[in-house]
Amino acid sequence: MGYLRQVLTICGKDLRSEFRTKEALNASLAFALVILLLFSFAFDPSSEQINEISGGLIWMAFAFAGALILNRSFARELFNDCLDALIYSPVPGSALFLGKALASYVLLLIVELVSFPIFGLFYNVQWARKFGWLLFVLLLASWGLTVVGTMFSALTVNLRLRELMLPMLLYPMMIPALMSAMQLTTVLIAGQDITGDNWIWVRLLIGFDIIFTALAVAFVETVLVG
Amino acid sequence: MDERNFTYMFYGLAAVWLIVVLYVVSLVMREGKLRRELESVRRMVEDKEAKR
Amino acid sequence: MREKLIYLMGLAAALMLVRNLYVILLGLPDEADQGAIYRIIFFHVPSWFTAFGMFVASGTASALYLARKKQSYDELAVATTEVGTVFVAIGLVTGMIWARIIWGIWWTWDPRLTWALITWLVYAGYLMLRRAIDDPTARAKNSAVLNIFSFTSVMITYKAIDWWRTQHPAPVLSIRGAGGAMDPAMEQMLYLNWLPMLMIAIILVMIRMRQEGQQREIESLRRMAHAV
Repeated sequence: MGYLRQVLTICGKDLRSEFRTKEALNASLAFALVILLLFSFAFDPSSEQINEISGGLIWMAFAFAGALILNRSFARELFNDCLDALIYSPVPGSALFLGKALASYVLLLIVELVSFPIFGLFYNVQWARKFGWLLFVLLLASWGLTVVGTMFSALTVNLRLRELMLPMLLYPMMIPALMSAMQLTTVLIAGQDITGDNWIWVRLLIGFDIIFTALAVAFVETVLVG
Repeated sequence: MDERNFTYMFYGLAAVWLIVVLYVVSLVMREGKLRRELESVRRMVEDKEAKR
Repeated sequence: MREKLIYLMGLAAALMLVRNLYVILLGLPDEADQGAIYRIIFFHVPSWFTAFGMFVASGTASALYLARKKQSYDELAVATTEVGTVFVAIGLVTGMIWARIIWGIWWTWDPRLTWALITWLVYAGYLMLRRAIDDPTARAKNSAVLNIFSFTSVMITYKAIDWWRTQHPAPVLSIRGAGGAMDPAMEQMLYLNWLPMLMIAIILVMIRMRQEGQQREIESLRRMAHAV
């Protein structure tokens, strides 16, 4: 079996089992909406202010919702020792990792693409004026979130305090990607183009994705097998 | 005196040593804890071996 | 042998510090704009150098642990990380005290400061992960991987003043190509004060490493006791 086939098999398996129960997806989506609702109490949702903080708002919601999905990524294999079975299967660790990351990526993107229109609706924000660029930022930042998150999910899978440790480790490490995404999303929602100073955020985002994907693929075998 | 900002300079220098001292105190406390733990575990092992 | 080395280094560091403090307080003149408070830089910058050195050492130790699987590398990694976070704390606190006078505020969300704080949080996360894992081998292995991930934030902190326009002062040291904006006598003093601070850090690392060894001994004895 080719490497790509292995990745897709793992990804397909994860997505299939997720779509059967929709456990993580529903929880994460509901959570994202609750957070968006809560933010409306933190400030006046009808004011002009919303344009300046929209990027930060929506990415906070995605980061929280994402942690729920990522927590499940490896934890779902704990029952019946599925994780051990996966590790001893002929699939290399990196393929297992990429497959799982890809599955979480798809789930996270679904949550994000559903949340965006709802956010726009409730906060009266025209979010889709630069949809192409926004999608580009969304794809890059979400990949960063999933790749680090899946890796840390593998790191913390055997811990008693798993649900607590993952966000503790994930959020500080995520800040470069999250910060870039927030800045760029704010600019794009306001309907402006990415110019001058803001290119650094795009570069940071791409650099983040490349570095952490490389690190994760290189070290995941060590984490899983030892 | 204080137009030279002497007070805050003093605070700054004091803070450096305060943090170092705090860490050293935490090290010393851990040292004591480890020593006690090591002793009790050693005794436990000896007891168990004597019983066998 | 190790004990003697620790005492010897401690003594040397103390002597150097007394001499440095004398020169810093009485030998060097006030800075033109800042008055006496600029003297914080003689501790602020060296503590960041030290922290940076500690994190480089701990990243290297973790990489070596993964390559060779020797426990002593893991001990080195945890000791250097912990001492590194202490020196980051010193850097942050001295910087804040300086900022209170010069900028009028304790803290500003400027890229350099923000990244420094993130670095501290990331390494605190590393230390917390270690506490959460009971099995020594899994602990060493998983935390080593996390440590290598963490090092990226150190690199970003280091480069932050080049990448963003920050409120934090631009590099003034000649080693970063600033063309020696700082007076050579003062710059020399900076390095002279770094030496004792680095020595203190090394002493702390050695003590912490020994404790980690004891910890491991306790754990193995305990396992033995359960096995009997």
